[in-house]
Amino acid sequence: MSLKQSEAIVLRTYPLREADLLVTLFTRAEGKVKGIARSAKNSKRRFGGALEPLTWVRAYYDDREGQDLARLDSCDILESPLSTTVDYPRVVALEHVAEMLDELLPDREANDAIFRLAVSVLHQLRAGSIWMPLTYFQLWLVRLVGFLPELGTCLACGVALSGSLAYYHALADGLMCVQHKRLASSKLAPESRALAEQMFRAPVESFAEEPWAPSQCADLRRFLVQIMERHIEKKLVTAGMLARL
Amino acid sequence: MTRFAEPMARLIEELKKLPGVGGKTAQRFAFHILRASDEDAELLAEAIREVKASLRLCSICNNITDVDPCTYCTSATRNQRLVCVVEEPTNIAAIEKTRHYNGVYHVLHGALSPLHGIGPEQLRITNLAKRVESACIDELIVATNPTIEGEATATYLSRLFKSSGVKVTRIATGVPVGSDIEYADEVTMQKAMEGRREL
Ligand SMILES: [Zn+2]
Ligand SMILES: [Zn+2]
Repeated sequence: MSLKQSEAIVLRTYPLREADLLVTLFTRAEGKVKGIARSAKNSKRRFGGALEPLTWVRAYYDDREGQDLARLDSCDILESPLSTTVDYPRVVALEHVAEMLDELLPDREANDAIFRLAVSVLHQLRAGSIWMPLTYFQLWLVRLVGFLPELGTCLACGVALSGSLAYYHALADGLMCVQHKRLASSKLAPESRALAEQMFRAPVESFAEEPWAPSQCADLRRFLVQIMERHIEKKLVTAGMLARL
Repeated sequence: MTRFAEPMARLIEELKKLPGVGGKTAQRFAFHILRASDEDAELLAEAIREVKASLRLCSICNNITDVDPCTYCTSATRNQRLVCVVEEPTNIAAIEKTRHYNGVYHVLHGALSPLHGIGPEQLRITNLAKRVESACIDELIVATNPTIEGEATATYLSRLFKSSGVKVTRIATGVPVGSDIEYADEVTMQKAMEGRREL
């Protein structure tokens, strides 16, 4: 029997029985795949540090007849988050990426654009500079899964929002002008929208010159998290943890 | 599916809650208990009650203990100024096995884990901070797991206690003893190179 192989990002692992791990992988070849890594907990030799969440790996696995769970045979590390400093803000950011992918992606549906996005953003997510890559990832992810509304016009009247404040609301599907904002709407600054437009035109590396302050584009991230949470109909645990950093 | 008498079904249900115990094993345990003498069954029940009634966390180090402070924290032969920080009480046994550590411990009962809503406020370190502040400690050895969450916890603790003047060290990570470096994965090998020491 020949093994399938694919690049993958480890999203989560759960202990299963005595020594096995249930692993959720985001594979390049077939999207989100859940599988069992036998004896991964007590025999570290075969998997080593490869099953640590957010590790970019080459995974070897096969599907078993009539079963949803794949059998994970082995993984080679391509890039590990453990190879540079891991501090608390970085682990929140890393697990936020994992939670978003796990919640937003359907099982067994390849998405090469999101895969490449994740790999390039994880490479930039370093201790001391998490906010830019996180914003870039949220923005592109929301766009690539098809949830991003028009950022340039009011959803009620269609007027161009250009240089002015825009408003959003948990129950509305896009941005509103000052006339059409709902009660208790939140604000999205024109500078943040302008930066979002730039991010749609350039790779993540081109924004990496200097680390962002936590306040930079915080409104844009709140807007994007609200969109995601509305679609998955639950709160993202790590979004709450990010907000408290 | 076999139907069991109500008390038997209840015992099987309870046993199934144990880690690593599935339906079949739970049934085997339950029948074993049923066949055991009244005395043996009573001893088991009593041991379970006793463990819940008498065990608590040490007020100094959070280890699970029947006396407070625990035997490590009151030991006259241990170096009370050397503290090893671990994630779980079971980690202590792994370190004690070496018979080369003579300090004491601090048990965190977990690590920073954003996906589970565990941030710095949820870490059990109030009593550790008190020990550090009262200058009772020379060195903190951070022995959390070499995972992203364990590393984040270690970095957090080292930054937290930096200003206090206490020496904070991290256990080494690297190639397992008796293995072949040819089979070490790249991150393990990288850590082994970074953690090299002079001979
Ligand atoms: Zn309008
Ligand atoms: Zn103690």
